[in-house]
Amino acid sequence: MKKYVMWAGMALGLFAGSASGAFADDGPQLLTPHYTYNAKTIISGARLFATNCMACHSIKFMRYEFLTHDLGMSRADVQKDIMLPTGSTFKDNMTSAMPTQMAHKWFGLPPPDLSQMVRYKGQDWIYTYLLSFYQDPKRPSGWNNHVFPNVAMPDVLAPYGGIVNEHGKLLRAGDESPQKFKEQVTDIVAFLRFVSDPSVVQRHDDGPWVLGLLAFFTIVAYFLKKEYWKEVK
Amino acid sequence: MSFKEWFVKRSPVPEMWREHMAEYYAPKNFNIFYYAGSLLLLMVVLQFLSGFLVLAHYIPTAQGAYDSVYGIMYDVHYGWLMQYMHVDGVSLIFVLLYVHMARGMLYGSYRSPRELVWIIGYTTYLAFMAEAFFGYVLPYSNLSYWAGTVITSLLKSIPFIGGWVTTLVRGGPGMSGDTLNRFMALHVTLVFLVIVGLIVFHILYLHKVGSNNPDGIEIKANKGPDGHPVDGIPFHPYYSVKDLFGFGIWLIIFGAIIFYAPTFHHIFLERTMSTPANPLKSLPDVTPPWYLSPFYAMLRSIPNKTAGILLMVFAVLVPFVLPWLDRNPVKSTRYRPVTRVLLIIFFINFFVLAYLGEQPPLPKYFFVERLGAFIYVAFFLLLPFVSKFEPTRTPPARVRFHAH
Amino acid sequence: MSDETQDSKHAPNVTRRRFLTALVTVSGAAVAGTIAIPMVKSLDPTAAAAALATTTIDLSPIEPGMQMVALWQEKPVIVVNRTPEMLATLDEAEQKGILKDPNCNVPQQPPYCKNKYRSRVPEWYVGIKICNHLCCIPHYRPKKASVAPWWLGGFHCPCHGSMYDLSARVIKGSPAPHNMAVPEYDIDVAKKTVVVTKMYPLAHLC
Repeated sequence: MKKYVMWAGMALGLFAGSASGAFADDGPQLLTPHYTYNAKTIISGARLFATNCMACHSIKFMRYEFLTHDLGMSRADVQKDIMLPTGSTFKDNMTSAMPTQMAHKWFGLPPPDLSQMVRYKGQDWIYTYLLSFYQDPKRPSGWNNHVFPNVAMPDVLAPYGGIVNEHGKLLRAGDESPQKFKEQVTDIVAFLRFVSDPSVVQRHDDGPWVLGLLAFFTIVAYFLKKEYWKEVK
Repeated sequence: MSFKEWFVKRSPVPEMWREHMAEYYAPKNFNIFYYAGSLLLLMVVLQFLSGFLVLAHYIPTAQGAYDSVYGIMYDVHYGWLMQYMHVDGVSLIFVLLYVHMARGMLYGSYRSPRELVWIIGYTTYLAFMAEAFFGYVLPYSNLSYWAGTVITSLLKSIPFIGGWVTTLVRGGPGMSGDTLNRFMALHVTLVFLVIVGLIVFHILYLHKVGSNNPDGIEIKANKGPDGHPVDGIPFHPYYSVKDLFGFGIWLIIFGAIIFYAPTFHHIFLERTMSTPANPLKSLPDVTPPWYLSPFYAMLRSIPNKTAGILLMVFAVLVPFVLPWLDRNPVKSTRYRPVTRVLLIIFFINFFVLAYLGEQPPLPKYFFVERLGAFIYVAFFLLLPFVSKFEPTRTPPARVRFHAH
Repeated sequence: MSDETQDSKHAPNVTRRRFLTALVTVSGAAVAGTIAIPMVKSLDPTAAAAALATTTIDLSPIEPGMQMVALWQEKPVIVVNRTPEMLATLDEAEQKGILKDPNCNVPQQPPYCKNKYRSRVPEWYVGIKICNHLCCIPHYRPKKASVAPWWLGGFHCPCHGSMYDLSARVIKGSPAPHNMAVPEYDIDVAKKTVVVTKMYPLAHLC
């Protein structure tokens, strides 16, 4: 019997390995930085996202009020740093300012909603993507990207991270040091990861209690079982 | 007269309780595999409850489906819990189904007089596959759309009526809001009720002939002076109390997954479920969920479309006749070392096929996939001959049991 | 093996069994509750519904003496910009003794509106425009002597003739028993906004 458990464990291990297979074969090698995932990095990412990304990208399943009770931001901070000044109210969804018709006109297709993007593409893909922009005069936007060739999106983070050409030569330095810029990008990814599943806060808060109660039940049930099975010879 | 007397006179429940619980004598040597049955019952109840509660927020239109399903994760109180319970529950049900069927194959539970128990059970497995398929189309993610398209296209291969059936199932030439509506109807009512009905009959048919056990010997052949099998114990209280403990362990596992690894590394909830349906952008590889993956691997191992479909259909249906392929008087592979080895190879091969089915269709996998399909088929074709001539050990007269 | 007849060596310890069964039952009920309670709560109004639950009304287009009606939670909310003359009629109505509940003893309004203005700020009346009798929507009749010779201004319901003053206090002779309901709200006169938040729990609409 034990060997079946071993084979089952092996199979599960195989699956865990194969799960990431879907996207590993296309595009360049993805960077795998270390992500610090806590309220501080997520809030920092939220501010960066609101400033730089929300002009075009919505995260429509997210509501501003979730930033308070899930992350512990104060309502004032949310209203100051995150909410667009276009008449959103606190309970609204976090949509972008860009009307869809304009998006079609300017970019050819609307910038996608990013609510689930971390689940879809993965943290490493988004991180590498944001660090892979380069100047390309042949493109209408003037930008291109190694991870997503001929993407319509410009490098909005260029002021922070600087501008490089296709071969990685630095053309203009950004305002932040390379180390700090990478931190900012991991913060944005951390925020997007939170957005893709805000239940993580409640899950990790409640999880130990639920599992603790279940463990107590299981232990007591075990003793009850043994009490009856003493009779079985 | 007391309330009890009044009730017993009018209700069939007391004698049903006696027949199926308090006086149903089951072998005392059930091992860990035997938790799977009651756990499956628990899971069906939880799937029903969690499913009902996500249905309460679902909008079955092409425009509304994806947003309504993901809205549950954000806007509904404890919606994430209902959603994860339902999604993770599917994969865990299939884990239990495979454990449950493996037990049947290991110990000869499909053998006479339990052939119908096996057939009803295997039908239930197919019904679960259909239920899962209809269910994962409902969120109308890109995987839902393209998996729905691919699988309904398989129906086109049915001779003469294939095209008509495909259009009927889809409600049109391609996947659409109409497809969602009817898949929802199927998922919530028809297939679910079929599953419940099959489970009821599965248990009734089992209780008529009595449970098998790991040693494959018939406990009813050896009755004590009180008329009960000497190796049997009443299901209640012994197995009810043991199953309660099993529920506890299982709920800890289920809870750990929901609370700490709800996508289980994107195996239980694939990445491509997290992007909305795009009829203009098909997925690079439309891989099925892991529990359907072995059959998919067999399907595409043959470079001919019709032959591949035929092979897959054969692979899915051949286990029905397992009771008649196995011709050895000894039931349990505990006493049939040759069949036991073949069976273990079969199980490992099944896992390998599942892994292969998830990989992109690259030439480096072709040979192994074909070998895997061959091994799967070969097991069923060889069994009639191996079982007839293999050397066996004599099963004991009494079950092998250590007090615990 | 036979189970009922045990020899004394294997006699079941009934007390221990009862104790363990009780423990299992209680913790099992706790587990069931842990599963069931979130299930029931998931049927609570969603955050999407809650977002629609408050309405912000812009006061700038409302001229003195005018009303505006906005939809809040599928109900009509009326905002009236009351002039000083209109506010004076509130005292007059009290002096003439024509009101059923001039002091707002029946809690049809939040505590901060329990006054003759039935509002937070005297000039701005905010209320739910539903007649307390049988739920029709009354007409806004601010002009003196319009409904009757003694009419000081207020609301008049076309269905069964209920009458209210300019604070929606019910006038004697009306079939309606109570003053019209006032919801809970916030007002920012400088920013010219009213945010209607929720129903006052003790108020009866109709």
